[in-house]
Amino acid sequence: MVRCENVMKQYNGKMVLNDVNMYVRKGEVIALIGPSGSGKTTLLRTLNGFAVPDSGNVFINGEKINYKDKESLRQLRKKIGMIYQLFNLVERTSAIVNVMAGALGRLDKGIHLIYSTIGLFNKKERTKAMELLKFVGIEDKAFERVDRLSGGQKQRVAIARALMQDPELILADEPIANLDPKTSERILELLLRINQEKNITLICVLHHLDMVKDYFNRVVALKDGSICFDGNIGTFSQREASEIYGFEKESKCIAL
Amino acid sequence: MYSALEKMNTRILKTFFIWTLLIVTIAGSFKISDINIKTLFEGLSNSIAFIKEMLPPDFSRFKKILLLSLETISIGFWGTVLGIVFSFPIGFLSAKNVSTNPIVYSISKAVVNFLRAVPDIMYAILFVTSLGMGSLAGILALTLSTVGLLGKFYAEAIESIDSKPMEAIAATGSHGLGIIRHAILPQVFPLFMGYNLYLLDHNIRAAMALGLVGAGGLGVELFTQMRSFNYQKASAVLTIIFLIITAIDRLSANLRKDIIEGTIFSKGKKVKNSIFIILVSAISIISLFHISVSFKDLLAGIPKILSFLKGLFPPDLSNTSEYLKLMIETVAMGISGTFLAIIISIPIGALSTRNLLHNVYIHNLMREVSNFFRAMPELMLALIFVTAVGLGPFAGVLAIAIHTAGFLSKFYAEAIENIDERPIEAVMAVGARFTQVMRHAVFPQVMPLFNSYNLFLLDRNIRVSTVMGIVGAGGIGFELVMSMKIFEYQKTSTLIMIVLFTIGLVDWLSLYLRKRCV
Repeated sequence: MVRCENVMKQYNGKMVLNDVNMYVRKGEVIALIGPSGSGKTTLLRTLNGFAVPDSGNVFINGEKINYKDKESLRQLRKKIGMIYQLFNLVERTSAIVNVMAGALGRLDKGIHLIYSTIGLFNKKERTKAMELLKFVGIEDKAFERVDRLSGGQKQRVAIARALMQDPELILADEPIANLDPKTSERILELLLRINQEKNITLICVLHHLDMVKDYFNRVVALKDGSICFDGNIGTFSQREASEIYGFEKESKCIAL
Repeated sequence: MYSALEKMNTRILKTFFIWTLLIVTIAGSFKISDINIKTLFEGLSNSIAFIKEMLPPDFSRFKKILLLSLETISIGFWGTVLGIVFSFPIGFLSAKNVSTNPIVYSISKAVVNFLRAVPDIMYAILFVTSLGMGSLAGILALTLSTVGLLGKFYAEAIESIDSKPMEAIAATGSHGLGIIRHAILPQVFPLFMGYNLYLLDHNIRAAMALGLVGAGGLGVELFTQMRSFNYQKASAVLTIIFLIITAIDRLSANLRKDIIEGTIFSKGKKVKNSIFIILVSAISIISLFHISVSFKDLLAGIPKILSFLKGLFPPDLSNTSEYLKLMIETVAMGISGTFLAIIISIPIGALSTRNLLHNVYIHNLMREVSNFFRAMPELMLALIFVTAVGLGPFAGVLAIAIHTAGFLSKFYAEAIENIDERPIEAVMAVGARFTQVMRHAVFPQVMPLFNSYNLFLLDRNIRVSTVMGIVGAGGIGFELVMSMKIFEYQKTSTLIMIVLFTIGLVDWLSLYLRKRCV
């Protein structure tokens, strides 16, 4: 599904991604962890073309991403749902309108483009948006303005928007960093349920190690732009965690 | 829930219906105020030709202009001071949480609302006809309009205070004045100071325009020179007016910021701010000896004002249908002017933003253009356009459009600069095309704000267009002035009623729509 080969990226003279190699199978769930500034978000953004690597290649479904061709990037993004830390919703419109924005990539030709640009959606799309809101558990808030929703409800709207794309892959960038612990658990459970029921590959950037242990099998850890752990959570010990997060004074990346 | 789903597209169709209605209204307004592509191009070429006639400015009467500038500043200053004196009690009486007697509260609130509804230039005409030409008329006119604005601002400030300190002071057994002094004033004082300064700025600007009807200062000189075709001398006056307005605008904006942040007398700013305040006060006090204000004039004027008020009744309704037609023309002028302003403001606003455009020079240039448009009072622009494109509503529309564009482009730029970029990335991430991203991530963020600004300025412009006729720029204003000048006060009262009713209606409508916008 996703394959990164020797991906390198510098930003302001600092190595953000240093020779990253990663392989994700279809239907897999991955937790991407690491301290702030270790390149997690940048790695995620190279997968849907919002960050451009200086060198190296990224393959999605065996196709190499051509970062220079805007049209092919757009086609790529249709298949990839993105979930953000700060939800990235249009606050002044209702939840359901935000969800329907997820269909825009699909409605990009001919009469559909004209209708969707005006703001009209056909019955099929509207019903689908409603069903997705039901799936994420907030169909009663469908016509509520987003700025009146709570953080957890907002993230559910954002998840429904991603599902509206019928994605093959969902990228979640710290989806629970702005939520309270209980809501966080619910949102993670929802994401994993989506993975199981719809067989959508999930790559999730996380900060909370305890949550990772409870919910994820495979962990990829980044430090200073390079992958220093990639494997089953069972083999990810306390010692390794403290080395990655630099609890000890001298920490080195562990050779795999 | 699913039935609401069915209605979603109907709601969008309703929006389309509203748009159609809007376009028809605008087209109708254009027709009434005689605007089309041809007249617009003619107006542009005539204006350019006229500007050429005005150049270079002739500063031969520089000394006179300088003295008149001082007079204008002092008219603004004394109008503000007197306005503050009256607004203070009336502000407290019309604040819901302080005013104890409901009758007193309603009456003082009604007085403030009435004073605000009448344009300041109408007071000026009233005082010029009853007290004679000169600064006194200007000062009194500004006093009344200041009470209309400040009375409301004060009352709102008082209504928004924290009630706990009031209870605490009352619990000590203090009398009413003690509560005002020790619980209310400390809370509202910085706000009051900010409003006062804003009004001073506003009134100095307004004093320039009041001169056009003979209420003293630079406006009189401008009007005289324009009417005697000395366009180069007139442009010298305009230059000075522009410089004064710009300087005062910037100084007062800085000062207001310092007051609100509580840094007005902090280190480094103390000297600068003190100098400014002392300078304005000094100019005003010194010029008080130069301007011809005497109690005798004031006393002699009072019976005339009373006879004017008595003369208003009963209203003469014989010309009502003709007046209503003029009122429609007036409203059409306001709509046309606002719409033209919107069209001018979109490019200027977009080009003066930092996040859309990274070219510092263009963005600074556009900001200056917008400041320039904003600086000139409408009535002065109208006088210029009347000379350039001839008498009639077209001149008024142009004046309104230019002045409004100065405000709108600034508001638009601010709205665009405050756009949240995160939803834009999110909608791009679903693979939407550019037009879809604009429609679904950008428009929903800025359109409610744009609509709210547009409505606010439309409301204001319909008010403004009622006085455009004073310099011959179309609308009901001409009849209004004439009826006062030839002492047909019974017609004046009919006209005033029509104007106040329309303004009230527009006010209510715009408030209702704006609440639904944001």
